[in-house]
Amino acid sequence: MLQITDLRKTFGAAKRALDGVSFAVRQGEMFGFVGANGAGKTTTMRIVMGVLQTDEGEVRWKGSPLDFTERRRFGYMPEERGLYQKMKVAEQIGYFGRLHGLSPVGARKAADELIERLGLTERVGDAVEALSLGNQQRVQLAVALVHDPDVLVLDEPFSGLDPLAVDALAEVLQERARGGVPVIFSSHQLELVERLCDSVGIISAGQMVASGTVDELRSSVGRRLRVVVAEAKSGWADGLPGDLRVENGREVLIATDGDDQHILHAAVQAGRVEHFGVEQPTLTEIFRGAVA
Amino acid sequence: MNGMLLVAGREIRTQVRTKGFFVGLAVTVVLIVGITLAPKLFGGPDSYTIGLVNSQELAVHGGGDTEIEWRTFSDEATARRAVLDGDVDAAMIGGTAGIRVLSDGEIDSELGLMLQAAHREAQIQAAGVRTTPLSMESIGADTRYEETRSQMAFMLVLILFMLVVGTPMMVAMGVVEEKGSRIVEILFTSVRPWQLLGGKVLGLGVVGLINLVVVLAAGLGAAFASGLAVDFPPGMAGIVAGIVVWFVLGYAFFAAVAAALASLVSRQEEVGNVLTPMTMTMFASYGVAFFAAKEPTSLVATIASYVPPFSSMVMPVRATAAATPAWEILLSGALMVVAVAAMVLFAGRVYERAVLRTGARVRLREVVGSR
Repeated sequence: MLQITDLRKTFGAAKRALDGVSFAVRQGEMFGFVGANGAGKTTTMRIVMGVLQTDEGEVRWKGSPLDFTERRRFGYMPEERGLYQKMKVAEQIGYFGRLHGLSPVGARKAADELIERLGLTERVGDAVEALSLGNQQRVQLAVALVHDPDVLVLDEPFSGLDPLAVDALAEVLQERARGGVPVIFSSHQLELVERLCDSVGIISAGQMVASGTVDELRSSVGRRLRVVVAEAKSGWADGLPGDLRVENGREVLIATDGDDQHILHAAVQAGRVEHFGVEQPTLTEIFRGAVA
Repeated sequence: MNGMLLVAGREIRTQVRTKGFFVGLAVTVVLIVGITLAPKLFGGPDSYTIGLVNSQELAVHGGGDTEIEWRTFSDEATARRAVLDGDVDAAMIGGTAGIRVLSDGEIDSELGLMLQAAHREAQIQAAGVRTTPLSMESIGADTRYEETRSQMAFMLVLILFMLVVGTPMMVAMGVVEEKGSRIVEILFTSVRPWQLLGGKVLGLGVVGLINLVVVLAAGLGAAFASGLAVDFPPGMAGIVAGIVVWFVLGYAFFAAVAAALASLVSRQEEVGNVLTPMTMTMFASYGVAFFAAKEPTSLVATIASYVPPFSSMVMPVRATAAATPAWEILLSGALMVVAVAAMVLFAGRVYERAVLRTGARVRLREVVGSR
């Protein structure tokens, strides 16, 4: 388990970037890290990767403080992508494998496998600068994966990818998670996070405002009743809990509390009930609620 | 250590595979061979052909290794033709009134003097007067090799300047490439800052050393091929070995400076600007070294050959231009080693703290004092 405990970081005299960030990611868990720009995602990930020193708090891996040797077994994709522009694809991936401690043969094998897996076979001999942005991103991912890391820390891995590339990347990450690797990634694409992640952490202004499994977050927001009544007289919902909104020209009642049976009864009396159901809040809604 | 060697290996492979490496090396070799051979090509000839008509060969003692080839002609007319056709440099025509020397245009002044002296000598001896040549002896320093030494020193200034300036520049470009592209952030999760910087300096140093060795070999090869090597002063092997050692020291110092300064900026365009203090120091060293090649025993050259980092360029030039006591070279070397060690520690500190701070230029003060 990767445990992040009470990280605090201040840049310069005034800018407090992290103000007590804690969360944990278990083996094989896919952890989505979401938050507004500047909320502290990147700073947290950089501290985990040792690129930045924390002022307070610590990062523990398998129960003990994380050190350089263990970190070499991590895979990292920083927010600002970086590759040697003039180095060839296969050579570049292999080089990073060697830096992470693979043997020459092992590094070449790992690079070849990833190149095939990520669909870069035709570009092996090309310099990175000659690749499209999407393909550069694939090389970047390969660099993070080449040493078969124990933990994956990816800052915005999906940004700038087309939908097919998103699916391919998601598949690769899920495969690694199934292999027991904790995967942390940040993203602004909340539907994607919702679809892929076992658990989610929401950070706002340097503090974790919510974290847990998607279900836990949902239940903390509470369930939501959605009722649509055709040909109802206006004002039918007066006195009922919840808000009445207009969606596509029809009145919709959204209720988060109150007795559902009582609401159903009132709806039936008001007109023809077209829709009555419990609705799951989306991560976007949870996020808006948590950050607000 | 392994990480450092991997980084060094990448640097060497990346540089050696570029077209620029070979072109640069080829241009330098051509330049050095050209300069080595230039005195031979453009200087005065050291062998003459003299035609003889009714006259004797003269015992000519030219300066150094001048050789004279004599050719006898049957009459003046053929000798004249040979002079005008350029077959002989001059023709000596014997007659009752004495010997006339014919040449195409005014005679080569050195040749004229040699012939005149030899002829006078021959006449005096013919008159039965015994002459003994002056015996010349230097009771001061041995200056026999002075000219060769100073020529070699000038070449050395040129070579050292190109390599000691050029190679740290590659270090600076490499540092900024990694910082600007943020690749350094990924690298630092698998290698430590000192491994990355050390590997880069080591790798590019090897590239610089390859350049130096090839250029020196080309220069020495050309000297041997053209016969200039006979003028080499004693202890030539030591001089060449010293050049290599001084290059390593000078490179190590300036590479450390270049890395520290370059780590302050994030864009290649800013490199030139941030390196200004270093390039100024290098140009100053170059100026003094140039002067030292001419005046190796002057006070300025002597002092500068002790002060790091100037000594890295001035001392090898001074030691090449004039025989220099070994203890002076060793003392200067020891001072330079200390300076290199101090600069490497300092540069490592600056680099480690500045290289992850991308964006605006980092001020040296911010990274030196803090923490």
